[in-house]
Amino acid sequence: MRTPGRGLAERVLGGPVLWTGLGALTLFAMAPFVWVLLASFKTRAELYATPIVYLPTALSFANYVEAWTSRLTPFSRFFANSLWVSSVTMVATTVVSILAGYALARFRFAGRQTFLLVFLATQMFPAVLLIAPLLSQWYALGLIDTYQALIYSNFSFTVPFTVWMLVGYFESIPRELEESAMLDGCTNFGALCRIILPLAAPGVAATAIFAFVASWSELLFAITFTSQTEMRTLSAGLLFMVGQYEIQWGQLSAGVIISTIPVAILFTYLQRHLIQGLSAGAVKG
Amino acid sequence: MAREATLVAPAARPLLSRRARELLTGYLYLIPVILALGCTVLFPILKAMHMSLYNHVLIRPQEYGYVGLANYARLLHDETFWLSLWNSFLWVFGSVSFQFLGGFAAALLLHQSFRGRALVRTITLLPWIIPGVVVALIWEFIYQPNYGLLNDILSRTGVMTERVAWLANPGLAMPAVIVTNIWRGMPFFAIMLLAGLQAIPGELYEAARVDGASVFQRFCFITLPMLKPIIVVATATRIVWTFNYADLIFVMTSGGPANATQITSTYTLLQAYSNLDFGYAATLSVALLLIMLVFTVFYLRITRGLEGVA
Amino acid sequence: MNEHRILSRRVLLKTMAAAGAITAAQLKWWEEPLLRPRRAWGAAPVRFQFSVPEPKRNALVDSLVQRFNQIQNDFEVKVEFVPQAQARQKLITSVAAGSPPDCCQIWDNWVGEFEGMGALEDLTTKAKDWKHYKDVLPLAWQTVTVKNKIASLPWVVTNDALYYRTDRLKEYGIAPPKDDWGFDQFLAFTKAFTKTDKNQYGFGMRGQGTWAVLYATEFMYANGAQVLKDGKVVINSREAAEALDWYLDLFRKHKVCPPSVPTDGWRGIVEGFGRGVTNTYIHNSGSAEEQKGFVGEQNFSTVPLPLGPAKKRNSFYFSETLTAFNKGKSREGAWRFMAWLMEDEPNLMYTKGLGLLPSRKTLFERPEFMQDPAYRGFIKSFPFSIVSPYLAYAGWGGKIDSEGVPLFQQALVGKLSSKEFLDKFAEVLTKNMS
Repeated sequence: MRTPGRGLAERVLGGPVLWTGLGALTLFAMAPFVWVLLASFKTRAELYATPIVYLPTALSFANYVEAWTSRLTPFSRFFANSLWVSSVTMVATTVVSILAGYALARFRFAGRQTFLLVFLATQMFPAVLLIAPLLSQWYALGLIDTYQALIYSNFSFTVPFTVWMLVGYFESIPRELEESAMLDGCTNFGALCRIILPLAAPGVAATAIFAFVASWSELLFAITFTSQTEMRTLSAGLLFMVGQYEIQWGQLSAGVIISTIPVAILFTYLQRHLIQGLSAGAVKG
Repeated sequence: MAREATLVAPAARPLLSRRARELLTGYLYLIPVILALGCTVLFPILKAMHMSLYNHVLIRPQEYGYVGLANYARLLHDETFWLSLWNSFLWVFGSVSFQFLGGFAAALLLHQSFRGRALVRTITLLPWIIPGVVVALIWEFIYQPNYGLLNDILSRTGVMTERVAWLANPGLAMPAVIVTNIWRGMPFFAIMLLAGLQAIPGELYEAARVDGASVFQRFCFITLPMLKPIIVVATATRIVWTFNYADLIFVMTSGGPANATQITSTYTLLQAYSNLDFGYAATLSVALLLIMLVFTVFYLRITRGLEGVA
Repeated sequence: MNEHRILSRRVLLKTMAAAGAITAAQLKWWEEPLLRPRRAWGAAPVRFQFSVPEPKRNALVDSLVQRFNQIQNDFEVKVEFVPQAQARQKLITSVAAGSPPDCCQIWDNWVGEFEGMGALEDLTTKAKDWKHYKDVLPLAWQTVTVKNKIASLPWVVTNDALYYRTDRLKEYGIAPPKDDWGFDQFLAFTKAFTKTDKNQYGFGMRGQGTWAVLYATEFMYANGAQVLKDGKVVINSREAAEALDWYLDLFRKHKVCPPSVPTDGWRGIVEGFGRGVTNTYIHNSGSAEEQKGFVGEQNFSTVPLPLGPAKKRNSFYFSETLTAFNKGKSREGAWRFMAWLMEDEPNLMYTKGLGLLPSRKTLFERPEFMQDPAYRGFIKSFPFSIVSPYLAYAGWGGKIDSEGVPLFQQALVGKLSSKEFLDKFAEVLTKNMS
């Protein structure tokens, strides 16, 4: 399946000019990261040297240790918080959008297009105006400084996109499959679980990782709905390194590297299936 | 589940017709999503729509009251709003078009098979993982004229003799922040389009090659049409997100210098949290929502993006 | 295809199960801080928002709070660190949502706004009965008095002066500035300090944020201009325009400022000096401790701002306050904590660590403040320090930020003349006198 595609792409991209261009593109994507990685090993003097010092003299992990173990900005704790919030958001988003995506893809009822358009419309509203009403809502429910408030709030930007994606996947699966299952006595829900989901598993994985990544870097809700340091997530924790007069570049860089690791591992592990999953439905939908 | 079981329970004549059952199940499946979005977005949006009809300045509680469409009338005469709308257009168009082109190019590259591809794919994803505020701080440092990375590299390599103030020059500030946003947004397109590329059946290319189609022809007549649905969905969502995205500009330039990078989302933020004028900020948001909605409907209609689900 | 499908589902399920197992096992530990038993008679803890979370300040405030929790057993103070850039937004949101903290460290230019929202606890009676009431500098009380009510405790105070590099002064053979210097000497001084070939500039002007306008206003005041006169906005006077022209020419014409001025905020000016790119900048004493770390204690000093052609000058004076909110749940506890922070030892600990000055006379006059060369310029500026004229109306604070600064930047980059800017600026101020 891949070989002929590669043949084409190879020819399209074959020219040295194009390869150079693409090399530059990769450089563009990576350069700021390389800088952050280098900065995370530097001492304060090296970070504030003018003109710039590019390479750290010694490979020091002091910034990492400091960020990870610090009592006042415990990245270990932030890390755990982020992992929990993002994982639960991921699972819950997936469940909710599987049901909704399936309903929108399979059942003919009035207002399906309106539903989809409303989902997209929710993304057109600035989050800064959502936080005041949401805060009073969570406050009234006693959910300030809980993971629940963050998880529920994260739905506001994960669910609409995942529903859009999943509608596409489900549409690409032949309807006859579950109809025959239902003739065999399966309920509608049973057919969804036993027939459709296994077929759409790669697509589900793709939307799941989207939900995970999106909530991993979420900041506004994380700052507004938590007050105690021990409830902060990683992205909010990173901002503790940004002072009024000075940025703690060493620890900030270490924090950035730490915060990319789990997503990077997850993605490296899943990417082959993930990308095939993305493709299965997306092209149709 | 239990309820459905009773609905589908075998009976000589079902209580409800097949059509009614289907509808009922459909709505049942939609309940969670309605709850999830209703509480977190739809309710606040309705509240904001309501708020936009009031004079609601936090520091003047005594002047609070219903003013009808007065806030909207004020919007029509607000020069900064129209300027920011134009800036927003530049910002969205510049960002999304180059994010798309760059992401497409990256996707084509990552579609090749080479050693360590998984790793390179992961690296491409990285800019997407970092919170926008941190991205802004990193790029603010890159652009700093006197001790920043870019000027340092350019002057060390001899490309540049005079220091360029990338963000402080009104003419350069918008392109500079757009470049940052391109960097941040490319991974999204790269991943989405890569997925699309892998789904194109190889036989199509084989057949075209046998027919003697050139590389360019194959790209135009196979790759692009096959990717169209994904391109439409991805660009539409991206345009909406970029239009609403304030973090980068707010940290890097605060809309300056002299409003050169003031876009509608930063302007809304300013109205709400500097001027504490929540009524007007809500008005801005509602107006922008309408503008985006009209745009999206047209965009999807023209590109027939909703075809697949219609 | 089939193989991939199964693999990916299995992988997905495994990953989810693993994540779930890990998190479930640790859930108790995670929630533990929330379940921790309350002390004493179960009073609600006092929530204290602290808005400048730098590692040093964090540690300082954290140890202060710990000390307070140790010396009394009635209730617990919980400190909430909020990143500086988000602090204002978070506070406004929580006031709007009806869940403000009990007390908060905020700047005096926010006090009027929160008072306008009706969110602040009126401290007038408590403050006047307080044992240190008379010891606090009258100007400090003035910064936190809104509509004849005392709205906050002035925790620390500071004013503006010029930081300059003493080591480079010697290197270039420049005479040190005198305390009563003038505009011309200032210009000559910054010109002598500008070495473009060495990537050095004579003056780190601020071009972003409210203080960009405030520093410019200090130069206008030196030429006899005023913001308000007989209840009218008169900042667009001839004297103001002249002085502003002179000030902006430092950047536009004489080029003694770095090219980054229009985007330089607090961090820009402090870091520019700290990295040795600028040789002078105007700021309050709050960055003195940072600069001791950056350029070294012996390498810089401070001097009052120059006298203008009108032989006048003013340094704007402001305070970092402790403010209580009337929707707070433990208002009595909040007051006790705030008053404790004003006691000798905690106050000295905080101010000395941060380069700010105590608002209580008995502490202010101690040798560690009066004799440190880094504070010289600030102490010398006290006789002509005034409370910022922009504190007059609560409505001005936000408008300077949202409308004043963009206009100022237009003048800075030459799109507006000084007079045009001041006319428009005066119009903005006049419209918002409430």
